[in-house]
Amino acid sequence: MLRAVDTIPIPMPAGGRSLHRFANPGRFLRISGRVLPFLAIPALVLTVVGLAWGLLVAPPDYQQGDAVRIIYIHVPSAWLASGGYLSLAICAALSLVWRHPLADLAAVEIGPVGAAFTALCLATGSLWGKPMWGAWWVWDARLTSVLVLFFLYLGHIALVRAFDDPVRGYRAGAILALAGVVNLPVIKFSVDWWNTLHQPATLSLTGAPSMHVSMLWPLLVCIAGFSLGFAAIVTARLRAAVMERRIRGLLLAQAQTV
Amino acid sequence: MALLRTRKGRRLAVLLLCLVGLGSAAGLALLAFRDNLVFFVTPGDLAEAPPPAGRMLRLGGLVEAGSVARDRRDGKPVARFRVTDGRAALDVEFAGILPDLFREGQGVVALGTLRPDGSFLASEVLAKHDETYMPPEVAAALKKAGHWQPESAPAPPAAGWNTLTPRKSGG
Amino acid sequence: MTHLPYIAASYGLAVLIGAGFAVDAWLRVGRARRRLDAIDPRRTRGRDAG
Repeated sequence: MLRAVDTIPIPMPAGGRSLHRFANPGRFLRISGRVLPFLAIPALVLTVVGLAWGLLVAPPDYQQGDAVRIIYIHVPSAWLASGGYLSLAICAALSLVWRHPLADLAAVEIGPVGAAFTALCLATGSLWGKPMWGAWWVWDARLTSVLVLFFLYLGHIALVRAFDDPVRGYRAGAILALAGVVNLPVIKFSVDWWNTLHQPATLSLTGAPSMHVSMLWPLLVCIAGFSLGFAAIVTARLRAAVMERRIRGLLLAQAQTV
Repeated sequence: MALLRTRKGRRLAVLLLCLVGLGSAAGLALLAFRDNLVFFVTPGDLAEAPPPAGRMLRLGGLVEAGSVARDRRDGKPVARFRVTDGRAALDVEFAGILPDLFREGQGVVALGTLRPDGSFLASEVLAKHDETYMPPEVAAALKKAGHWQPESAPAPPAAGWNTLTPRKSGG
Repeated sequence: MTHLPYIAASYGLAVLIGAGFAVDAWLRVGRARRRLDAIDPRRTRGRDAG
């Protein structure tokens, strides 16, 4: 069923290019409304299955015992911390170079979700580190660079909301988001470039994963579920943001005509 | 250049230029602080460049097989073991509770000072986990087949065991 | 199960954060839709037509 708001006819600029096809708010609401269930339902199913599998079915580790089950949350949230920041940076580039109007709203909505998953990554890492390493926290290159990522998210969240003129906030936030991209390769390669307490990557595109399949499958399911969940939450927030912007516009127009 | 003819193209060029500049600046900074970004030094590093006496440092390496001795002093557990990186080895003494992952052949990072006699007095010992995740049955099967002694060697190449399904014994 | 408090805290936090953001987004969309319903002239017209 199509909601009325999704069918608002707003004329498109002639010859709308592919990138700006989704800039039209009415079209965005219509398309995203159709896509959202296909993100949200698989996200819920995969996350529930993956977490239950990891918690109850997957075997313990020969050294870590059951504490290994924490990785079914830690690894997907670490992936989303970096992946979410990359999507924030892509929105920043779309905003600065192509002046895409939805990219600004998307960046504002990605920020808090990415920050929350980064916090989850840090917290679960800590909860694993205490019993395994013997310390809640160490200042090695991996942990420190992820903490910097968390602060970049917080900085972005604050900066985009710090200006009276939202457009100036979007610009400042986009510049911060792009500058912070330098941190992503540092996070990824910190465990290879320097001596760190954090272990090197288990999963890689080239080599065999040094993880038994009975643990690998639930981990991959969790990564897929978390990623779809992230996409669904950001899409829903963006839908709300588009509608809220239209509400503000209408109220402003009413105030001016009175 | 065609890229610079449009406003959009110019903005893209400026953006790429800024990213390249920022990336090189960050790369140079990381290179300059390389030594400070290292979380621990190995016994081999210490043999090459001995630190000033009494300086706190983190020593990292593998616990040598057969070197761990545990006893108690004044009711507190005391552990003595050797940490090696293959090039050199150091005696370490630590009074306190060792982390769960501590065992022979395991990577550890010890915080402490080098004593005049060349041994290392640790005030904190952290276990370093490697990137291997294995169910106990698979580890037991590998050990039983003689492919792996966890006390003296890292786990064998992953492709050899990551799909292995050991038969349940005693069933 | 070994290390149960650490595992329980991890899974608890994950569920809390995931469900929190999902419910918040759901409520926000609903609130925005209701407000838009109330004030958007084109929206009312669209509903009358279809």
